[in-house]
Amino acid sequence: MSEIIVITSGKGGVGKTTTTANLGVGLAIRGKKVVLIDTDTGLRNLDLLLGLENRIMYDLIDVTEGRVPYKKALVRHKKHDSLYLLPTSQIKDKTALNPAQLVALCEELRQQFDYILIDCPAGIEQGFKTAIAAADCAIVVTMPEISAVRDADKIIGELGRADKENIKLIVNRIRPQMVRSGDMLDMDDIDEILSLECIGQVPDDELVVTSTNRGEPVVSNKESLAGKAYSNIVGRICGEEIPFLEFGEEGFFVKLKRVFGW
Amino acid sequence: MSEDVMFKGSRYGLQLILSDAADFPKVEQQLKEKLESAFSFFSKGTVVRIAADRLTAEQLEHLTRLLGRYDLSLKPLTQPTEKTVASEKKEDIALEEEIPGINETMIIGKTVRGGQEVICNGSVIIQGNVNPSATVIAGGNIHIHGSCRGIVHAGAFGNTKAYVIADHMMAMQIRIAELIARAPDYVEKPDHIERAVIKNGQIVIEPVNRNEGARA
Repeated sequence: MSEIIVITSGKGGVGKTTTTANLGVGLAIRGKKVVLIDTDTGLRNLDLLLGLENRIMYDLIDVTEGRVPYKKALVRHKKHDSLYLLPTSQIKDKTALNPAQLVALCEELRQQFDYILIDCPAGIEQGFKTAIAAADCAIVVTMPEISAVRDADKIIGELGRADKENIKLIVNRIRPQMVRSGDMLDMDDIDEILSLECIGQVPDDELVVTSTNRGEPVVSNKESLAGKAYSNIVGRICGEEIPFLEFGEEGFFVKLKRVFGW
Repeated sequence: MSEDVMFKGSRYGLQLILSDAADFPKVEQQLKEKLESAFSFFSKGTVVRIAADRLTAEQLEHLTRLLGRYDLSLKPLTQPTEKTVASEKKEDIALEEEIPGINETMIIGKTVRGGQEVICNGSVIIQGNVNPSATVIAGGNIHIHGSCRGIVHAGAFGNTKAYVIADHMMAMQIRIAELIARAPDYVEKPDHIERAVIKNGQIVIEPVNRNEGARA
């Protein structure tokens, strides 16, 4: 049974697209057939993170407007054979796609793929409403920061209004030192407000930035703590029980030192 | 988006307040969005009052039909400008009797999230949290079995005996009848149940023991 998951956050810059790319690659590494749909029309980025920009021939809008069948627009990942990207148009804007079109397309894709991940644009306007329309469940990405948590709360309310009750949480860009010193919200604070099942806690990791620039999601990097965290999320999506990583004083620094070869 | 449309509790019942600056189609659109977002939390049959003197009959008709779709009815409010205090008091009582469902209690079995509004004529019990920037307006009392971080307005029609109870009272603003209290800038999470009531003309927060009954 295939699953359609929308990755959303409300606020921009918390790591929706990074999360989508990493989960996609992670699922593909596990041998799942995955398609990633970028719905951030006009501001597409997912192709960059996957290093597939130069291979795009057609886009999502070409498909939904009936110019080409979806198979022609899919871009296969260069390293992972079972991972495909359906990029969106960089020229059009959010009005070019409506919810019914995306629902119809996802139903078609369902026949071919195990997982369909939809990368949602920031905001709560039309683009968001379109992106969530087809989803079976939602992953809300947030950061340990008050504005990101507020926006996540709003988004969860909006998802509830659209009858999407199956919602999971990923807390991204955690800085363990700051949490320890009390300068950053900790998991309890976030859980107090959002009260959602958390399936991932991802530390802030410089390797995320470097791997983004190279177009190789960090999940395939065994040295990276963030990569490990993403890999664990993938396991949890597949139904495994995996304990959360400890960003303890020693554990974190030892790993950090190993990463940088100190 | 500026707020050109607002629901507000007053002693004449729930009142719809429209900005003078906005033109009518914009007002209508905003009202529609507002109803849509709060829709599931409105109690049915709520009467909404409106200061109608600036609207044409046709516009009023439009609004009535729009509210009707959400089981709300609209009644024009005539400003009681030239009445004596005594007759105004009498009118208050008459109006309170007119508000349907003022003695009923609505139960909401989930967290009220930021941007959502709960509006009801009677009392409301919330089994969950009231999150920051969520709004609860009730004609009667408000019971929150969880943390209250939003804006709560009890006794919205002028009932000064109304109260707000929460497991963890950290409300941004508490309004009871015509009074408003704002939270201090730094709030510690209280570890016991508290109640906000009016005492000596201002809102105070006091600890309660639920087992002792309504008044501690």
